[in-house]
Amino acid sequence: MGPVIVTDSLTKKYKAKAVVDQLDLRVPGGSIYGFLGPNGAGKSTTLKMLLGLVRPTEGHIQILGKDLDSRNRLNILSETGSLIEAPAYYGHLSGKENLQIVCTLKNVPEKEIQRVLHVVRMEGQQNKKVSQYSLGMKQRLGLAAALLGNPKLLLLDEPTNGLDPAGIQEMRELICSLPAAFGITVLISSHLLSEMDQMATHVGIINQGQLIFQDSLSVLHEHSRGRLYLHTSDDQTALLVLKNSGIPAQWRDGRLSLKLMEDSKVMHAAALLVNSGIGILRLEEQQMSLEDIFLQLTGKQVSL
Amino acid sequence: MIRCLSPQLHAEHQKIRHTKALLVPLGFLGFYFLWTMWQISSMKPDEFPTGYAMLFYQLPVMNAILLPLMISVIASRICDMEVKGDTLKLLYTIQKPGSFFDCKYLNSFRYLVFFTIGQGLLILFFGSLKKFGGFRSEDYFLYLLTVLIVSAVILVIQQTLSLLSENQLFPLGVGIAGSFLGLFSMFFPVPVARFVLWGYYAAFSTVGMDWNKDTRIIHYYEIPFPTHKFILFLAFGVLIFLLCRTVFSKKEV
Repeated sequence: MGPVIVTDSLTKKYKAKAVVDQLDLRVPGGSIYGFLGPNGAGKSTTLKMLLGLVRPTEGHIQILGKDLDSRNRLNILSETGSLIEAPAYYGHLSGKENLQIVCTLKNVPEKEIQRVLHVVRMEGQQNKKVSQYSLGMKQRLGLAAALLGNPKLLLLDEPTNGLDPAGIQEMRELICSLPAAFGITVLISSHLLSEMDQMATHVGIINQGQLIFQDSLSVLHEHSRGRLYLHTSDDQTALLVLKNSGIPAQWRDGRLSLKLMEDSKVMHAAALLVNSGIGILRLEEQQMSLEDIFLQLTGKQVSL
Repeated sequence: MIRCLSPQLHAEHQKIRHTKALLVPLGFLGFYFLWTMWQISSMKPDEFPTGYAMLFYQLPVMNAILLPLMISVIASRICDMEVKGDTLKLLYTIQKPGSFFDCKYLNSFRYLVFFTIGQGLLILFFGSLKKFGGFRSEDYFLYLLTVLIVSAVILVIQQTLSLLSENQLFPLGVGIAGSFLGLFSMFFPVPVARFVLWGYYAAFSTVGMDWNKDTRIIHYYEIPFPTHKFILFLAFGVLIFLLCRTVFSKKEV
């Protein structure tokens, strides 16, 4: 399946400051695309531009193969669902009455309500006033509203924000099930790297308005090339011995380290050191976490 | 266009379920009922022949005081749910901001129509109860028309303020300030009073009053309806609507 969202040089400036700068997004069809970035990186502004809620300063947006402009915006968005920032709701109405309003506006039959309530597991609370819902229930109601009309694309902006751990887990399972169950492509923004690691198939990382990485999650993981750390009875001599034998060793973070290599080569290096009279105290493999990669890419600490 | 707006109007109707917004114009009509009862109870039988003139003179003054407040409460009641529920980000992915503004307005306008018809019926009720004289259908319909039109223009401003304000205290404050301004504008010099929107309830009155200090007799007299002024006001109202609609539609959410 081709990309369902394509942006070219998408830019939003407030006065002279570019909040989103020359963004070239490619969201593959059928994927869960994690749009990742620290707070204030430009994620919400980008999502709002994709929905036509904010006018881009420059650039192009293509959604589901059609160029987005002010004339066909609603037509294109009729095939999408969205949940931007906080969930939208009418507190004085019940969950079901809230969904009835969305049905009326989307021109979707009301029998759809029970289906989406079942998907978000909220059939039991549908007649309760939304003002009495917990934040997690409001988020699920927001997701139910987004699912009305069988959208092909869902845009979710930090949907787990403010939820308790159980709520986060529930929402995560729900989102992960959507592409397989309904063929929906999901674009989900988050500043939580660990969350994306568990949900996304593709990742785009935005920092200070610029896209600094975009590919599948597996490619991102490839960046996390592991290393072997050695602690010996004499690290400095061990480094010399290894280097002289052509083994790629280096002094890194105050420790002796080797590039991750095959077991036989590791065994060879260990034997070499032992035969040189250097005792091996510890040999540990360390993978670079996604957090480390993110830090490397952005130079910024993120919430974990 | 109406067909296109029809589901959106229906959605507006669905939104106001359980809000009891109709109680606002009903409450104000109840107040007018009590006030008119009190007015009539202090009337002498020889004043009954000019009863309608008295009503058409006094009601616009009451309207200038009460209706800005009523309109601000209605607009706030209808619009606050969108602000509180942060719904615009969802709605703008389904409907155009301009259509949303129009439907919201039409929905609130129904309450003004309800109030105006209610007030019209109250006038006829009291008139026939006390057998008032001097009924002129032209005055009656012009009175109802001006009440509706002036209220409709004020509603545009109140709706825009209510939709743009996080806190409804500000638009309600403007409504209260409008009540005072509307009343005091009757004592302002004409060039100044012209700019006070809330004062137009009384400005379009077709009945004037003379009070003779010596005889202590009130004499009501007819004033020709200021047609040109009314048409200008209508044009100004349309301009305000378009301006407010544009300002609201241009706002990014």
